[in-house]
Amino acid sequence: MSASGAVLWLVNGIIVLYLLAPIVVVVATAFTTTAYPVFPPRGFTLKWFAKFMATEEFRSGMRLSFVLALASTAVAVALGTLTALALARYRVRALAALSAFVLSPILFPGIVLGLALLIYFHQTGLAGSFWSLAAAHAVLTTPFVIRMVMASLGELDPSLEEAARNLGAGWWGTFFLVTLPLIRPGVLAGAIFAFIISFDELVITLFIAGPKLTTLPIRIFTYVEYASDPTISAISTTLIAVWIAVGVPVYTRFLGVRHR
Amino acid sequence: MWLGLFLVGPLCLMLAISFRGYQAGVGILPTWEVGHYARFLGDPFYRGILWNTLALGLQVTVWSLVLGYPLAYALSGLRGVRRSLLYFAILLPLLTSAVVRTFGWMILLSNNGFINQSLQALGLTDAPVRMMYHMSGVVIALVEVLLPFMVLAIDAALLNVDPALGEAARNLGAGSIRTFLAVTLPLSVPGVLSGSVLVFTLAISAFVTPSLIGGPKIKVMPTLVYEQGVSLLNWPFGAAIAFVMLFVILALFTATFRVTNRGAA
Repeated sequence: MSASGAVLWLVNGIIVLYLLAPIVVVVATAFTTTAYPVFPPRGFTLKWFAKFMATEEFRSGMRLSFVLALASTAVAVALGTLTALALARYRVRALAALSAFVLSPILFPGIVLGLALLIYFHQTGLAGSFWSLAAAHAVLTTPFVIRMVMASLGELDPSLEEAARNLGAGWWGTFFLVTLPLIRPGVLAGAIFAFIISFDELVITLFIAGPKLTTLPIRIFTYVEYASDPTISAISTTLIAVWIAVGVPVYTRFLGVRHR
Repeated sequence: MWLGLFLVGPLCLMLAISFRGYQAGVGILPTWEVGHYARFLGDPFYRGILWNTLALGLQVTVWSLVLGYPLAYALSGLRGVRRSLLYFAILLPLLTSAVVRTFGWMILLSNNGFINQSLQALGLTDAPVRMMYHMSGVVIALVEVLLPFMVLAIDAALLNVDPALGEAARNLGAGSIRTFLAVTLPLSVPGVLSGSVLVFTLAISAFVTPSLIGGPKIKVMPTLVYEQGVSLLNWPFGAAIAFVMLFVILALFTATFRVTNRGAA
């Protein structure tokens, strides 16, 4: 046992190293004093972070991505919560098929959806507008909200809602005073996932954004295609740090719920 | 409703467009034809891209299986804080966008990057090994990008295996390797299958990693769809390629579904 166990640990150590290698490299090269990203980095400087903050292209990209993620998350949370309630509440016939359909964008190739939406928005005259982009992102993120909310609803005691109804609360009253506070962790987790996915989304955005709407991921992508610059490492490091700070509590909380 | 408007609607429209005529400089013609499908499946150049894409998907799937299984096996055996820590290490890449991780690989894989310098310092090679703008680099990076999905799928299946079964096998005299081969491995097949289908699907539809690491010379179906759709504006041809890709994925899902159902019955 101990010999094979040691081998397993060694092998897995190497695999984890491989898994984390690009992240380590990106974070390390953000502090290099060389003009291009080298690993291992040389020296230590924060100037690439300063350059990121000072470059208007990146600042405007970040602002746009933030507003876009906020808008699409609002739509996704509203639609996703209602869909999850409907799926959990009403014994819809062929429920499994319906759930699969509603959750399908998770697996759907972004490249296919991107082209389909490009053609669609052109034919309907919505191409290149902020709201078409927000709608597309919401299509992508709503399934994650549905997942999270359904997980929360699964733990909800239905007798609590019945009690509220018996005490005279209407549908909306029951929803806002009883159901929503109880499923809030699921809604919050779904919202944070939706926000992160929308903020990072590249492929569909590349297809439909048009020349005027350059989000931060598009800026990074076009930059990386033609130049290698530690500023990109600095931006990426900032994003990684923020997502860890925001995402990890949600993951642990959500996984904590599921493992109990 | 929402999905109908922004998923089903666009897909139907794209299906229709993929049968429309197209002429360079003029645009989409109001004629109906199957020429785009015939061109993609008939022309040796495009058929090569189809095979390239499928070969990439297969390589990435096999490698993530080889690397993902030991990791999932270890993960499913851990409890408490140690499990959370390893879980975090596997989820961390998922929290980081594919563009960022691909950028990291571009730094590592370049001709004077860390990997080539290490190989040369160790005397394993004299000249740098070409990995950037080469299929091998795309595979190395794409396996890393998709590995977490494989690990999570196999881990989920292994968690469902009753540990008492392994104990029973050991009590009956089987060694740990035999227990693994005869009990644990067969019971984890559903996870291996779903993880493989997931990784293959994501690999043949991946755009960011092949286009950044592969560059303009490496062509796979997703980069072709992008080129036709955005750069050349030949939507009918792009749509036809996209549907060939969807068809491959659907066929794979159906086949897997059949196999798992037969196994269950």
